[in-house]
Amino acid sequence: MTALLQVEDITAGYGSTTVLRGVSLEAAVGEVVCVLGRNGAGKTTLLRALMGMLSKRGTVQLDGVDISRWKGHTIHRAGMVWVPQEDTVFPGLTVLEHLDIALGGRGVDAGVEVASDLFPPLADRLDQEAQTLSGGERKMLGLAQALIVSPRVVLMDEPTEGVAPVVVQQLIPAIRLLAETAAVVLIEQNLDTALAVGSRAFVLEQGSIVETGEVRGLYESGVLERRLAL
Amino acid sequence: MGALGFLPTDAFNVVVLGAVFVLISLGLYFTFGLLDVVNLVHGELILVGAYTALQVADWTGNVLLGMAAAVFTAGLLGLVMERGILRFLYERPLDSLLATFGMAIIIRQVVQLMYSANPRTVPDPIGGSFSFLGFNIPWWRLMIVIITALLVVGILVLMERTRFGLRARATVRNPHLAETQGVNIGWYRAAMFTIGAGLAGIAGAVLAPINTLNPQFGLLFLVNSFLVVILGGKRSLRGIVVAGLVLGGSLAILQFIISTVFAQIVVLVFAIAAVRLRPVLARHVGQWRQQRATASAAADVAHSP
Repeated sequence: MTALLQVEDITAGYGSTTVLRGVSLEAAVGEVVCVLGRNGAGKTTLLRALMGMLSKRGTVQLDGVDISRWKGHTIHRAGMVWVPQEDTVFPGLTVLEHLDIALGGRGVDAGVEVASDLFPPLADRLDQEAQTLSGGERKMLGLAQALIVSPRVVLMDEPTEGVAPVVVQQLIPAIRLLAETAAVVLIEQNLDTALAVGSRAFVLEQGSIVETGEVRGLYESGVLERRLAL
Repeated sequence: MGALGFLPTDAFNVVVLGAVFVLISLGLYFTFGLLDVVNLVHGELILVGAYTALQVADWTGNVLLGMAAAVFTAGLLGLVMERGILRFLYERPLDSLLATFGMAIIIRQVVQLMYSANPRTVPDPIGGSFSFLGFNIPWWRLMIVIITALLVVGILVLMERTRFGLRARATVRNPHLAETQGVNIGWYRAAMFTIGAGLAGIAGAVLAPINTLNPQFGLLFLVNSFLVVILGGKRSLRGIVVAGLVLGGSLAILQFIISTVFAQIVVLVFAIAAVRLRPVLARHVGQWRQQRATASAAADVAHSP
């Protein structure tokens, strides 16, 4: 498998505080690469840096093209999308408008159909303001916004965090569906989800990658238990 | 003679002053209301609009052409200010306040250097008046109301019915999310500031024929436009229209009863009291929304297989 996303030696942080120190990883189409780590390890910072939201050193390549200095909107248009953990909606905008924005105003009807088929609760709430959705529905909306643009790379930040188990069962097939045609980088605290969908894992500790390998292998060898203090 | 000596022309003036308050606030709705820039140069953008109309009318003898030029000049100036300075200051409100304050002083001084501090007048583009219930009402004052109404409708359509408006609202509501959803927030911010500056220019040009111009002209409108936008709700154009009509209309009525200065003080006190009461209303709305979200959460389980 050729890696669609190549991240090499990324160092980034906030102001004078360095959070990521020389992080490298890669992800290919068809795989879900999990980034695991304790709170404060730098997982979300990594995704923010990849999406052009933080200044950084190092290189990010998308299909061989250096996108390290690109802004967020051009990265999105190039096919790399971000499903954030928090602050996921535009207050005052409806579900339909969220889907419209993700699509750049093109093919909205078809996109809405795809989103509605995958997440029926959203179909009933297209004209509802997204900020009034439940936590689970917001996660569905975030995933739907990613799915409908047929992305090449998806960066997901804890898509199942804080939602009911029944909703997690609806989200997992969507993550698998995304991975069929895209490279997925998944940040996840919920090990069950990581084991259910993940192929490889990178364990982040204090801003550095300290373990790499198959998710199940790392789990069965006790590495994850030790590193994540499970 | 109407009741208490209140003539139809006075009633019309209530409407006109209400419209003027709305008109001077439309630009600030974009620059301060949507973009959160404490835009102290708003008054000077109105000033630039007025003097552009004056200058072009002097050159061509066509005041309406001057008004079109006013939109362009103020909008272009706004674009230059936004791209040159303000785009670096969106996360730094105090710095943007100082920057707009400085730009306001520069523009005022440049206008004074170019045109002196002597009062100037812009001719009425239409002239004349029409008869309403036996009273003469100037055509241009009616045009101010009509132009304001058209601008409000135009802005509502732009912001609520177009692709531009949707992305502009997304940029305002959650810029970081918008950027990662493919919206070029830098472009939308620049466009919104330019539109806001252009609207200030229109206001200056439209109001110039019913005022005497001098380099302090813009300052007349600065405080009232901020009052209207804050009272109406920064991001609500409908609220701003209501606030403008209420504040401007109240001022016109009070001026009929008491002195102009005292009327302005009463309106100011009313506006401050109303702003103080807004959080109470907002809290009730918030509680209502919370109840809706809770009901929606309960629906999670109902919708799951």
